[in-house]
Amino acid sequence: MIRTFLRIAVLTFSLSPALTLLAAGSRYLGSTTQQGQEQTVEVKIDNFSFSPATLTIAAGTTVTWINRDDIPHTVVTSDDPKAFKSKALDTDDKFSFAFTKAGTYSYFCSIHPKMTGKVVVQ
Amino acid sequence: MQSPLYADLVLLLEIAIGLALLVGAWLARKRKFREHAWCQSVAVLLNLVIVAMVMVPTFREQVNPKIPAKLGRSYVGLPAAHGALGGIVELTALYILVAAGTKVLPEGLRIRRYKLWMRAVLVAWWLVLLLGAATYMRWYVPFPFRH
Repeated sequence: MIRTFLRIAVLTFSLSPALTLLAAGSRYLGSTTQQGQEQTVEVKIDNFSFSPATLTIAAGTTVTWINRDDIPHTVVTSDDPKAFKSKALDTDDKFSFAFTKAGTYSYFCSIHPKMTGKVVVQ
Repeated sequence: MQSPLYADLVLLLEIAIGLALLVGAWLARKRKFREHAWCQSVAVLLNLVIVAMVMVPTFREQVNPKIPAKLGRSYVGLPAAHGALGGIVELTALYILVAAGTKVLPEGLRIRRYKLWMRAVLVAWWLVLLLGAATYMRWYVPFPFRH
């Protein structure tokens, strides 16, 4: 009985890092698509927030924002001059921008200025 | 709350204007007609400034492009109803101001039943104010039961 319990404990302990990595990997793959060298990463807009709020990507990656909220939102960079600025996105509308230069890009929704996000390009 | 500062200020100002119109109506009942005229005139003209400087530009940018395609959605339908009814009420209120406070209108265009017109506009004004508050809630307040 004790031996069986120990076997299960050892097996669970040894498998947990692998399972964690697998889960993280599937999440990452779930939000990105790869076509040759180009990558696309999605940011979901829902319930008055950007998800993920902070995104770290490699230079050359295209970020696509999708509005899943039931109210219009925009995606506008805080920097001046503005690197990107979307029109008002209705439900299920998308906006994409390719980040070619390294740096940190803060952005917000111009309709709801307290909605903010950040893209870190490495 | 996710509203920009200007939206908060406009909502507060509009509530204040709505209350000022009620005070103005009370002044008329107390037969203080000069004070009544000043109160209602300032309220209607201040509202006109807010409409022209804030509401019309915001409406043109955020709502107008979605009409008529998305008129069925509450975030378009509410501000559209607010704008349409609000425009009629503001113009009617301005007409009453000109008719009651000046003699520029020809005899045929002057108002005779002032009380009826003023009371109808006051009721409609508050209806427009409630539509405006509903528009604010729809655009800027996240409800936990929305999803």
